[in-house]
This record gives sequence, C-alpha cells and structure tokens, in this order.
Amino acid sequence: MNDIPARRRSILSLWMTLTSQNPVIVTILALVLGFVVGAFIIIFTTATILDAFRGFFNSWGAPGHALKVTFDNVGAAYRDMFTGSVIDPAGFWHSLTTGKGWDNTLTPISETLTYATPLVIVSIGVGISFQTGLFNIGANGQAVLGGVAGAVIGSMIKLPMFIHLPLTLIAGILGGALAGALPGVLKAYTGAHEVIVTIMENYVIYAFLLYVVLSTPYQQPGQANDIGRTIHASAQLPPLFGVASGLRVSYGIFVAAGVVAFAWWFLERSSLGFDFRVTGASPSAARASGISPRAVIILVFLISGGLAGLAGVVQVASTTHYVDGTFLIGDAGIGFTAITVALLGRNKPIGILWASLLFGALGVGGRAMQAATGIPFDLATVIQSVVVLFVATPVLVKEIFRLRAGRTQALQLGTQGWG
Amino acid sequence: MGRIRRLTTVLGTSALILGTLTVSVASTTVSASAATKFKACVVTDTGGINDRSFNQSAYAGAKDAAKSDSNIVPSYLSSGSSNDYTPNINTFIGEKCGIIITVGFLMDPATAKAANAHPSQKFAIVDDAPVVKAGTHVEALQYETDQAGFLGGILAAGMSKTGTVATYGGENFSAVTLYENGFVAGVRYYDKTYGKTVKVLGWTPPKTACSLAACPGKGTFVNSFTNATLGKQITLGDYSNGADIVFPVAGSVGLGSVAAAKQDGAGHYVMWVDSNGCISDATDCKYFVGTVAKGVEPSVEAAILSAAKGTFKAGSYVGTLKNDGTGLELGGIKVPSKLKGEIATAKAGIIAGTISVNPNKW
Repeated sequence: MNDIPARRRSILSLWMTLTSQNPVIVTILALVLGFVVGAFIIIFTTATILDAFRGFFNSWGAPGHALKVTFDNVGAAYRDMFTGSVIDPAGFWHSLTTGKGWDNTLTPISETLTYATPLVIVSIGVGISFQTGLFNIGANGQAVLGGVAGAVIGSMIKLPMFIHLPLTLIAGILGGALAGALPGVLKAYTGAHEVIVTIMENYVIYAFLLYVVLSTPYQQPGQANDIGRTIHASAQLPPLFGVASGLRVSYGIFVAAGVVAFAWWFLERSSLGFDFRVTGASPSAARASGISPRAVIILVFLISGGLAGLAGVVQVASTTHYVDGTFLIGDAGIGFTAITVALLGRNKPIGILWASLLFGALGVGGRAMQAATGIPFDLATVIQSVVVLFVATPVLVKEIFRLRAGRTQALQLGTQGWG
Repeated sequence: MGRIRRLTTVLGTSALILGTLTVSVASTTVSASAATKFKACVVTDTGGINDRSFNQSAYAGAKDAAKSDSNIVPSYLSSGSSNDYTPNINTFIGEKCGIIITVGFLMDPATAKAANAHPSQKFAIVDDAPVVKAGTHVEALQYETDQAGFLGGILAAGMSKTGTVATYGGENFSAVTLYENGFVAGVRYYDKTYGKTVKVLGWTPPKTACSLAACPGKGTFVNSFTNATLGKQITLGDYSNGADIVFPVAGSVGLGSVAAAKQDGAGHYVMWVDSNGCISDATDCKYFVGTVAKGVEPSVEAAILSAAKGTFKAGSYVGTLKNDGTGLELGGIKVPSKLKGEIATAKAGIIAGTISVNPNKW
C-alpha cells in the first residue's frame, strides 16, 4: 500500500467505508430500498401505469411509452413528497430572486419541523429506556397525561408568560413522569413485566383523558362534547416567525434541541447515564459493580416518562392549543411512532434526531403527495416501515448490496430485555 | 449459494438503477397537468371517506361534481385526529385548490382560522357556520335534520313491535343532537296523535329552549365517530333493554349497531343516518328500517360547481324537507302503506309549518 499516493489512498479508504457495513451506510441503503419498494407499490396500484403496461407488446413504441408513464407517475409522487416536505426549488428560487413568498416557500420545511419536534422528544425518552434494556411501550399514554397536565395548567390559571410557559412545560414533564413512575415502581418492587404494564397503561390513560375533557371544570365552556379548554397565550409556544407568517414551526424546536443535547450529555458523559448503559448491556455486571437495579429501573421510567410528557405538552402548546378526545390517538400516536424512530436512530440522540426528521418529512410529504397526485398517504407509512425493517435486519441490506463486513461492532439495537 | 449471490446482485443493481432513475426523473419533470384544472379538495374528519356516512357523502359530492364538469379534479385528505385539521387545510391551500370542503362541526376553529388568513380562498364547511371576518369566502352548509329526524321518529315508532326505540350520538353537540331532538319529537307526536305509548331510550331533550351550555340534554354518547366496537356494545344494551330499532347518529360508529342487529337476529333493526344506508352499505340493507338522510352530497356538489363556474356565494345554505336538503329514505323492510300515509301527512305539515319539530311541543 505504501507506493499508492496519499490522494489515491484517501479515495480508496472512502470507497472502503462506503462499501462496508457501517450503520450510516446501512440506513441510507435501507432508505433507498424503502423508496424502491414504494415505487413498485405505486406501479402496481396506479391504473394509468397498469393500462400502459397492458399494451406493452402492442407496438414498437409501447414499451417506451409504458416506461415513460411509469417514471412520470412515480417521479411525480416522489417529487411531490419532496417539495411538500422539504422545499420546492422553483418557489425557493422565486423567493430568493424577488424576496417575496417566503411564507409559502418555507411552509413545507416548517411543517416537517413541526411534526418532528414532539416526535424527537418522545423518541429520545423511548431510546433511553431501550438503552437500559427496558421496553417502555407506554410512551403514548405518558405523553397524553403530560399533555393533559400541561393543558390544565395552561388553561385554568393565568400568569405572566415567563412563569406560565415554564410552569406548563414542567407540569407536562411531571404528568409524564408520574405515568412513567407507575410501571417503573411495579417493575422494581414486584417484577411485573414492564411491557404488559405499559401497554395496558395506555388504555387506562386514554379513559382518564376522556374523563378529564368531559368533566365540568376543564371542559370547554359552551360545549358538551369531549374537548378541553384552550390554553392561554401566555402558556403557548409561539410560532418562530410570528402568527402572521402562517408558519407553524414554533419555539418548541429549541425545547427539542435542548432535549437532544441533554440526552447526549446524559448518556455519554454523566455517571448516571453510564450506569444506565451498563445495566442495559449486562444487568449482572451492573449488579456486581454495585449499581442498584431498582434505582435504575425507577429512574429510567421517570426520565423516559418525563420526556414523553414533555413531548405531549410541547405538542399542545405549539400546535392545537387544546386537548380533545382524539389527542394522540390512532395515527397521531407519536408515542408508538417513537418506538420505530428510536429503533431507526439506534437509540442514540443524534440518530433519533435524524430519524425523527425523516419520519416528519415522510409524514408531511405523504400528505402533500396525496393532495397532489391522489396516491394514498399510506404509501409514506409503507416506506417508513420498510426502512425500519431493513435497518433492523442489516444482514439483508448487506447481502442485497454485497457490502463488506463492517469493522465497527455488530449493530446493536438494544432490543434485549432484562433476564 | 452462487445463484442466490447472483440474484441478490441483480436485485441490488436494479434497485440502485431504478432508485437513481426515479430520483433523477423526480427532480426534472415539470408539473403541467393540474395547472388549468379546478381542484375540489375535501378534508374529512376522523371517520374518513369510507365511513358510510357524512364524510363519504361529502367526497361523493366532490366526485359527482367532477362527473358533471370534467375540468374538476376531486381530491381528499383524511384527518387522523384533530391535530391534522390545520395541516390538511394548509396542504390544500398550498395545492391551490379551487375550493376546500371541510367536513364537520369539529373543524370549525381550524376552518375559521384558515379562512381569515386566506380571505380569497373559497371554503365550504359541512354542518357548521363558523364566525369569520368580512371579505372571506366561506359557505356554511347546514341542514335542519330535526325535520327528517321527526319523520324517522314516526317511522321507528310505527314499525316498533316492542314499543321501545333507542338512539345514541357520536358526540354531544348540536349537529348530532338536532337529529335526536327531531327523532324524539317524532315519536312523541306519533304517540299523541295515534294513541300509542312508544318510548325512546338514549336521549332526553332539554326541557326548555336555551343554549346548549346551560341545558345540554341527557343521553348516550360514544365520544367517537370511529369506534364501532362501542357502538355495538351500546346497541346490544339497547336491544336487551327492549328496544328493537336503534338510531345511531355517529357516522361509522353506526356500523357497530348493524353488527349488533346481525348478532341478535330477526326483529332487531337500525335506523341509518346521513346517507341512504341501502346505497352506502347496500349489503346490510335488510337491517335498515330507513335512513334519516342529510343532503350532504348534493349540497357539496352544488357548492363545488358554483365555485368552478364563478357563481360561488359566501354565506349559508340551509337544507330542509322543502328543498330536499334533508329527508327520510325507506330501508330494506316493508313499511305498511298506512304508516307511509301518516309520514306523508307529517311531512306536509312540517313543510307547511303546521307541525312543530320541537320535542317540547309534544
């Protein structure tokens, strides 16, 4: 190797990195595969494409026409997904040259950030519990309770903003931590399996949500259905560019950024975070070195639940400003999405940040795609699922793209439970 | 093993090529199609476009408009929760829709906000009249469904063998309870006029006419427009309490009532709501006594066509028995001609204004 010039050597090593099985490469290739699978689904479900292929052998020009129709349709779908979630190059150029229409130009990226903001917070909470080897499947319920607690404080008392807003956010954290403490304590003292307890907790908290939004003190005055009071302006996370801009991205992104920084410091630098990771890697080694499993279990659930609660209250304070019976239900259940986001981000704060942005972009872009082309939003969900599937089975990606075995350690998804 | 290797190579390479091509095409093709088309965009509530009820009707109205004017392109977005209302509306504003139809009372604040921020954008909202600034373009589509509910009450009371009928609602707000008020009034009218003693379970209208907040009325509510399981439970409870006809005013939750009627077998029926059950859910027609219909489909179609033609008027449309904006459709079981006559008499009386649909009058 010594006779190879330095420049060539660096290119070679870059090539080696790109063709070896490292986590970033695997994730990017999984994304490519996700879009390929999505393309085939578009092809097999779009009538115009199938019609074009039906006449494939009819004339010499037919195959070319069929391919053109395919690329037009698939291309339009993915183009709308991109321009609807990141930026429309034409609009960006127009704004850049004329200085007008920035509101419209920035709307897609603003929507993606709005979607990703609570998602990154709750996913980091889930990721921390996964890193400790505990499965917190109740993040959605914890986020609901956090949102309700924050919304009650935000709507039923009146204070100046510099006290009210922090108080609202803290109420959310406490609500989530309370919901997290329950399975934590049960696990630590009785050994009740946290997966069962947290799954069931989601239902209990949903029933509690309905009870609260239908109860007189908190129910929206003048309405008899399941809707809570709107929180005061002093407890809202205001839009970053002002209400007049119409851009929904709020100061909540700073909360999310703070959570990412905190989680990175906590897991990588603090001694408690080290205890957590050791417990996750080997419970017996942790016990042997004097780490109390009970304390770790309860603390993990407090932190994980607290972050989920913060996500819930950030969602309320920045977008809807009220809680109703559909709060974080069904497709909106960010606490469930968080499980896949944490897996995709390998439970690392920075990884989760990217994964949340990707999920945000796919969610928002899927909506734009359906509005523009009529291809159902669910395609975005399919792509999300396929990406996670391939990330969870790196061997498959390695074989498909014939990557070299990685020098880095085997991919850890932190999915092993406590023995 | 070698063959598998080769296969994966081929797969991987073709995946890469297709991926690259897609991306390159995606970034080069220029959108030319939708430029001259008129987009009719429907934002549904959580029920979605297959709820066999008013969300489905609204989208059907958009498709009808597209049929009568080939320049109109219908499009829809479903809301998974209330958190989706605003982004869905904003997406359609970004798509430069000719008109945006929002479906349901719950979308009131989101629609009002969007209309105030985009005064030139045309909106139509089903079941609600939002308070908006002057200069905005919002048409409120509302329906006096208590008139049709009244006829439904007569039909149910006349068809009931057990002398008990029941109703339940999706949520306790006026768009829902209006039906139920009419339904109860119809049953009471039937009892009083023809000397019967049919009871209604599930809804007691407020005693005096006052605001909803002051006296909301008492009844059974699912607090959902999607949870069919709860609808089934409530309906089974009603059946076991002696009711033989149940009237769900809860969109797709009513499918749970149909399931309950199937389970309990002969003699158990459902009164459908919003869109004719024998069309929207044709396979279950034999379980429907009738449908208290709301003219969502024709009124949405009319709003879209007017917007496409440039004759759109902001303001409000009120569907009544007189203009067929609401009405009673018969279902899959035979109705005696005597009862049909009694319903026709009541209908004429309501249109003429001689019969009140206020439940407290009977």
